[in-house]
Amino acid sequence: MAGSRDTVSESQNVGTGAERDWQTRLEVFSKSDFARSFPYWFVPFSIMGLGVYGGIGYNTLISLTDYEGFNEGPDFSPGNLDLEMYVQTVNDPWVWTTSKNTFVLLIVFTTVTMVLGLFLAVMLDRGIRYKEKIQTIYLLPMALSFVVTAQFWLWMYNVNNGLINLLLGAALIWQFSGYAMVVFLAGLQSIPDDQFEAAQVDGASVLRTYWRVIIPQLKSSSVSAAVVLVIFALKAFTFLFSMFGQYRVPKGTDILATLMVREAFKLQNWAYAAAIATILLLMALAVIAPYLHYQHKQGSL
Amino acid sequence: MANLTLSGTTKIFDDGGEDIVAVNDLDLDIRDGEFVVLVGPSGCGKSTTLRMVAGLDTPTSGTISIGDEPIQDERPQERDIAMVFQSYALYPHMTVRENMSFGLEESTDMDDDEIRETVEDAAETLGITELLDRKPGALSGGQQQRVALGRAIVRNPEVFLLDEPLSNLDAKLRAQMRTELQQLQNDLGVTTVYVTHDQTEAMTMGDRIAILDGGELQQLGTPMQCYHEPANVFVAGFLGEPAMNFFDLERDGDLLVSDAFQYELPSEIATAVEGKTDVTLGVRPESVEITDEVDESEHNLIPATVDVVEPHGDENAVHLRLGDSDQANLTVMVDGMRYLASGQDVGVRFPPDAIHLFDGATGEALYNRELTNVEQVEEIGTAQSV
Repeated sequence: MAGSRDTVSESQNVGTGAERDWQTRLEVFSKSDFARSFPYWFVPFSIMGLGVYGGIGYNTLISLTDYEGFNEGPDFSPGNLDLEMYVQTVNDPWVWTTSKNTFVLLIVFTTVTMVLGLFLAVMLDRGIRYKEKIQTIYLLPMALSFVVTAQFWLWMYNVNNGLINLLLGAALIWQFSGYAMVVFLAGLQSIPDDQFEAAQVDGASVLRTYWRVIIPQLKSSSVSAAVVLVIFALKAFTFLFSMFGQYRVPKGTDILATLMVREAFKLQNWAYAAAIATILLLMALAVIAPYLHYQHKQGSL
Repeated sequence: MANLTLSGTTKIFDDGGEDIVAVNDLDLDIRDGEFVVLVGPSGCGKSTTLRMVAGLDTPTSGTISIGDEPIQDERPQERDIAMVFQSYALYPHMTVRENMSFGLEESTDMDDDEIRETVEDAAETLGITELLDRKPGALSGGQQQRVALGRAIVRNPEVFLLDEPLSNLDAKLRAQMRTELQQLQNDLGVTTVYVTHDQTEAMTMGDRIAILDGGELQQLGTPMQCYHEPANVFVAGFLGEPAMNFFDLERDGDLLVSDAFQYELPSEIATAVEGKTDVTLGVRPESVEITDEVDESEHNLIPATVDVVEPHGDENAVHLRLGDSDQANLTVMVDGMRYLASGQDVGVRFPPDAIHLFDGATGEALYNRELTNVEQVEEIGTAQSV
């Protein structure tokens, strides 16, 4: 009798012990950083997850169907999913043309923007570094005679071969060279004066100093600027669309992004457009991957 | 090799309409192969002077010449100088070899083989051969310092300029590099200007030291001259650790009087202060004698109370109160084995052959201990530096 009572009380003890254990665990969990920060990260995390990765997933899924037109929704039945659209893109000469244009835009746009941005950043940096020289750089336009300025604007607005037409093409570069400038300027500002002075004492001219000492130290600035510029170049649709105001842009400026929008919203070839979108995504990933690798190697990730 | 001459060199910075005189009418004549240390507190103009010699700052007026050739209007590239920066300013993206080759590539017509040979010779001199293919980021502070030196010596310049090159090293390494730098300079025999705020570096390294304050040269002389025959109160107080003790006194005949004590000058010294009423008496901590018994009758024996004793091991710094002062106003260095208790009453003696007298108004030296007394030390000092 006594023994069995003992067993019961013991087992009760075990039961309450386990329960208490469970409760303390819950309590510890509710006080953990994970649980307490939950309300703050869950909402942005789920919006981001749904919007970005959900979108990518849904797009990829559509690209596997034959969905087109307005009549019915996409057919996701397993028998209907195949890579037919991708085969079609590879065989479409226009995809190759636009890919080539995308590639040219990417190279030319990125290079010119970076060179221009670097030049502007160097000028600004010199202005900040050597205060006495700032006037000469910024007052240079003032030094030009009024006649020269007037003639300049006449050229710009010439209807037939005005520079403005050319400048429109350069507008893209102009806009983003500002971004490149800011990135490079931040990089330049972090280089101490004595690097310039040491090079000067070592006998290097100003140009040689920039070429051999300063610009090589802007490697990480260049990489981060280049990544943003390349990705923008890949999806330059908004810019070209707003510049020409139509789905069919001039042939030379037709890139994968404009082709994609045209296929989707003008021709309702949803699945085909989705396949092009996936190709664009892969190209963007191919650009980012070396950057992420570089950042990882530097220990910044 | 050449001598470096600054004459009437002045630098005025314009700070928003307000003129700041960084260097005022500086005359310096640095002999061929000499090691001169520019020393002074922050803002005394020592770095500006060096930068003007380097060509990084342009003098407002005056001339700077290397040999007989004025260089103040030449760009740094055209001056035959090499400089070691306080931060070393190594090029972080280049290897040590590339760092050292850069100056030769930019300023000489040497071909690649010659450059490699020169760089390797310099690296061997400095013992950094095994570091040649590393980048500065992978080097310790001491190694970076050596590379910075190497970058300067490969150029084989007329003048070396060193801007506080040891200030980023820890105390032990600094002491070691001090000796090494001196040896290196001796071996190379290049005229060297060395800037520091550290009076120990100035005293131990320089053939001559130039003490600057407020943009003006206070004194130029051998370390021993500057230490024992300071030109004014500033130099006397700047050199020496702990600093010289100063007392502002009033002269009454041969007697110097203050609230705390009075001190009778021997007649041969008294003539030096004739006609002055306010006199500053200076005496170095190591020159003061302390007696345990206070014999009231003894001539020039000043009663004092021990305030704090700081043991340094080999010697003790004793802070004393003179008279009824409530603060320690005299520091004395005594032997490390000598025991003095806080609160103990003692007598202090200022040996007449070790005192300095300064004009109370201008701070100019009126009387210094005679260097003949320390000639022996001086000779040893010179022998070491050769």
